[in-house]
Amino acid sequence: MNEPTPHPDDAGLDALFAQARALRPDTAAAEYAFETRLLARLRDTRSTDSVWAMVSWRLIPFFAVCVVALTIWQSQVVTETEAAEQLVYVENPNAFEAWGTLN
Amino acid sequence: MVSAETSTSDEQLVEATLAGDDHAFAELTRRHKSRVFGVAARFARDASELEDICQDVFVQAYFKLRQFRRDSPFEHWVLRITTYKCYDYLRKRRRDGTAVSVDAMLESGYEPSAPELPAPHPDLERLHAALAQLSPKERLVITLLELEERSVQEIAGLTGWSATNVKVRAFRARAALRKLMENKK
Repeated sequence: MNEPTPHPDDAGLDALFAQARALRPDTAAAEYAFETRLLARLRDTRSTDSVWAMVSWRLIPFFAVCVVALTIWQSQVVTETEAAEQLVYVENPNAFEAWGTLN
Repeated sequence: MVSAETSTSDEQLVEATLAGDDHAFAELTRRHKSRVFGVAARFARDASELEDICQDVFVQAYFKLRQFRRDSPFEHWVLRITTYKCYDYLRKRRRDGTAVSVDAMLESGYEPSAPELPAPHPDLERLHAALAQLSPKERLVITLLELEERSVQEIAGLTGWSATNVKVRAFRARAALRKLMENKK
C-alpha cells in the first residue's frame, strides 16, 4: 500500500480523474511524420554546432595574439611606472615619507 | 544502416545510433513516440507546444545517448527525459507568467491540454483549468499519479524524488486541486 490515502470527500474528484483518463488525447495527427521533422532538426542542430566549433577553433590564434600583446603592454606599463617612481624618489625623497604619514 | 524491422532490439538500435546511423534513431523514435506524445499531451497547451516538448525529448535523448545505461529499458529512460521536459515547460510557463486564472481560461474557450480531444464535460474543463493553476511540481505529480496511473514508486523513478516526497506532493496537490474546484462551484 504505497499510494496516498484519498480524502473522504474525494469521490467527485476521483470520478473526474476517471473521466479524464478515459479521454486519452488523440495525438495521431501530431505524431505524423515526426521522425522526419526530428531528423531535420538534428541535422540543423549539428550543423549549427559544427559552425560554432569551427569559428571557435579559428579564433584561437587571434585570442593568443591578444593575450601576448596584453602581456607585453602590461610589462611595459609596469616598467615605466617603476622608472617614474624611482625618478620621483631621486628628485624628492621626502614626498614618499609625506605620503606615508598621510595614510 | 539498420533496417526498420521490429526484430531489431532497442539495444541494437542504440548501438547503431551511437555508430552514426541516424535511421536507427528514427526507428527508435518511431517505436517510442506514442508513449512520449501520450505523456506530453497531458501537459502541453496546444499542438505546437506538444511538438516542441516531444522534439526536445528526442533531441536530448539523441545527444545524451552515450549516458544511457543499459540497466533499464530505453523506454524508461526516454520517459524520464519526457518527465523532466514537461516539468521544464511547466516551470517556464509559470516563470513567463503565461499561466492565467481559471475564469480567464474558461471565458476564452480554453482548450484542455492536448489537441484532438473529444468535446469534454464542463466539469472536466474545470478540472483541466484547475490543474493548470497548480504549481509545476503539484501538476506533475497529480497528472502522473491520477491521469497516467503511475505508481508512487514509478513517479519516484521518473522524477528522481523520494517516494515519501511524491506522496506528500500528491497529497498537497489533491488538497490544492479540491480547493480550486470548490472555489469554482
